[in-house]
Amino acid sequence: MRLLAISFSILAMLQTGAPNLTAQVSGGGFSVTPSASAPATDGKVWGGLIYASSAPSANDLDGKALPKGLQDLPERLNKVFKFTHFELLGQHNQDVFRQYESWVVPSRDLFLKVDSKGPAEGGGVNLHLQFWQEQQVLVKTDTVLRVNSPLFIGGPKWRDGQLIFVLMLTREEK
Amino acid sequence: MKTPPDENQIVRWLDGEMTATEKSAFEAYLATDPALKAELDSMCQLGETLRQNLPVERPLPHADFFNSQIQVRIAQEELDQKREVQRPAQTAPWFSWLRMPRLAFAAALLVLGIALTFWQPGSGLSTTVVSSYAPNPVVQARAFHSEEANATVIMLDGLDSLPADRKIVGHHVHRTESDTAVATTTLFSESGEILLVLAKGADSHPQMIQRTPRS
Repeated sequence: MRLLAISFSILAMLQTGAPNLTAQVSGGGFSVTPSASAPATDGKVWGGLIYASSAPSANDLDGKALPKGLQDLPERLNKVFKFTHFELLGQHNQDVFRQYESWVVPSRDLFLKVDSKGPAEGGGVNLHLQFWQEQQVLVKTDTVLRVNSPLFIGGPKWRDGQLIFVLMLTREEK
Repeated sequence: MKTPPDENQIVRWLDGEMTATEKSAFEAYLATDPALKAELDSMCQLGETLRQNLPVERPLPHADFFNSQIQVRIAQEELDQKREVQRPAQTAPWFSWLRMPRLAFAAALLVLGIALTFWQPGSGLSTTVVSSYAPNPVVQARAFHSEEANATVIMLDGLDSLPADRKIVGHHVHRTESDTAVATTTLFSESGEILLVLAKGADSHPQMIQRTPRS
């Protein structure tokens, strides 16, 4: 019943489009309250879902729209995946929370769960990543993610090409 | 042994951990207490039966992933210990001159100058995949580093293709708000509009609730 109540309340929040609010359970009921102070983070990541194909598209990826250090992403993707055209389907800038999980969701179809294991020796962040396709985990990995060194995850084939998830550490806490 | 043995002594006797002297004293007491002796004999018998019927070793499911997780935890603990050892050195007295604002500012400028002289984008270590594991046995995860692309790659071989007529919906998420009490993450667009709410179900699987635009 409690889960059902939460679901209805979230739906209600979506219907009203209430911004800057978070949902909280209190005394068996459900309320919407202003969000608390910012939690501690170990860095910030950028996650992008790319559709790679060999057919030109009007929406070909423009490197200028990407974070610093990734402007040459199409060329770099081409070195690995051998496709010639890359389209950015979605992107997400996300803080990597120190105390609890973070989600990088450029698409509801393919997304990433990120658990920080703390700063890495020599720079970067130790992360436990889970790459999800809807309700299924495709891969779990322990990765040391470092600034300016992206992680490409080759996802499922789709249409005439392939879906690729790109994750990059854009800022780390010193 | 004149007083009845305590629980600790009984466990040590059952596990064969007593010294010869302790053991003879314990067994001398048992001879005087038939009820306790009968109980312990029964426990010994039960232990023997369990040993005979349960395999000594059981195969560990996903042993490679389990091992890699242990290695990661060990490495993390070693790193934490190293940091703990290094921490007192950072507050050593010779550093105290940096508390003087002008000197600290000058030092900061010097460090910044050196950093700008020698720093190059992309220099240093690369992203490293320590371990990877695909729960679906049909899928193989391969990790490697591409020098050409200056990127680390995880390839998932054996994934099913998505149907061509399926629509993949992308979002441009500007910020999120998480509420750990109800395990929800709300995703906002740049204009502050709610794009999605991600809620974790009882099985810890994420459920996506998308906002339906009002007509």
